[in-house]
Amino acid sequence: MSAKSKQVTSVAYSESAIRNNLSIVEYCRTSMAALSGCTAGILGLTSLYGALFFVCATITVWLMFLYKAGFSNWNKYFISRKSLLTSGFYGQLFTYILCWTFIYGMVHVY
Amino acid sequence: MAVVPKIILTIGFFSIFHAALSAVQHRSYLRINELQFTRLPTDIIVQTLISLVIIMYGVLNVAGDFKVIKASAGLDNKSWETFRNITSFYTFSHRGRSIAVDYES
Amino acid sequence: MATDLIVDTQIRFWVFLPIVVITFLVGIIRHYVSILLSSQKKVETQQFEDSQIILRARLLRENGKYIPKTAFLTRRHAFNKEEDGYLTQKRPAASQSMMTDPSMMTDMVKDNLTNVLPMVIVGGWINWMFSGFITTKVPFPLTLRFKSMLQRGIELSHLDASWVSSASWYFLNVFGLKSIYSLVLGENNVFNILAADQLEQMHEQMSGAAMAMPQDPKVAFKAEWEALEIIDHHWSLDGIEMKLLGEEEKTLSD
Repeated sequence: MSAKSKQVTSVAYSESAIRNNLSIVEYCRTSMAALSGCTAGILGLTSLYGALFFVCATITVWLMFLYKAGFSNWNKYFISRKSLLTSGFYGQLFTYILCWTFIYGMVHVY
Repeated sequence: MAVVPKIILTIGFFSIFHAALSAVQHRSYLRINELQFTRLPTDIIVQTLISLVIIMYGVLNVAGDFKVIKASAGLDNKSWETFRNITSFYTFSHRGRSIAVDYES
Repeated sequence: MATDLIVDTQIRFWVFLPIVVITFLVGIIRHYVSILLSSQKKVETQQFEDSQIILRARLLRENGKYIPKTAFLTRRHAFNKEEDGYLTQKRPAASQSMMTDPSMMTDMVKDNLTNVLPMVIVGGWINWMFSGFITTKVPFPLTLRFKSMLQRGIELSHLDASWVSSASWYFLNVFGLKSIYSLVLGENNVFNILAADQLEQMHEQMSGAAMAMPQDPKVAFKAEWEALEIIDHHWSLDGIEMKLLGEEEKTLSD
């Protein structure tokens, strides 16, 4: 921010573009949570494996975002790479668990 | 939004649905024959995972494109001359036209 | 898996699935009914003015670095000066009671109509219709503490805690389907609005929309006033002319 540093100049961000990107990310992540929940249910994962699967799915989605944005120039689209991974974690976890339980019940309980 | 990702998405959904049905069938088969459930057959697992990846890809493409968040995104490859071309400041029917020599009504 | 309970397959199609479908469809209906009932809120001129002032102050706070210091200070002075700046002006206490305003009352009634009533009615109906079924099993072990939560309507002390009764399955759905709704209905559905009730004000300001301000603008004004007071002006266009001419190293070094 300071004028002294040579390289770092404050970058003006476009608010609407940020919001657009975040809503896309949110959309993808929610559907991913639901779908990976369904997958875990079909596979019949129980207890810790399911949690592990969720973490794997989240990371996969994150990598796919980076792939979509391009690995080298992700900062053209997002301010922070880490918040892309972690934002809204608990809401997704809840969706995941619901879908997991639902499909697990449909497939494996009866 | 192109059509291709949607087709991919549909295929993925059908595939995962089919995998679920297969899993159900496998479960009921085990139950009828009174076998213990250990794990799903490998082909169902593989099919499920592959269809998940397919759906992920489809969703990512259906959701839309990212926008460049820099405010100056569209301005980078414009020249100084284009910047001066500000449409809001165009003047039509300027009052000076009445004294202009080569103005034709 | 040790105590493998065999559940009748009919339950899957006549209890388990219907509960999910009913909950989901009732949610969709609620969304559309609330759209149908929602009245266009009449915005007072005063409120509109207030929200615009807040917006302008925010803009100044965020983008103040692009204008010269004097310009920034002048604008800030206009907002924050002692007696009658925009943010510090005295207001006649115009707080009308919420209850006396008839439109407020109808709004509240409608709110209850679309939120509480379906929940109670559908919940009661499901409790009555599908009572006493074991519907599903959560795929992870739970402690006994969850028993009362997940097995409402079944009093079996020896049942494993991971089995879920039909009434509890309904409640799980009610709470869990929210994000699915936002997927299906788009971002601005009634559930998101309800969930983000406390974040609402922040959200409005973030989206930059000139929404109606809450009843008392004083609090928002005060907060904005404080934020403006403490902000420090860094002009980020220092040496921009030289930079334009491609001589940034020289200017920045001195």
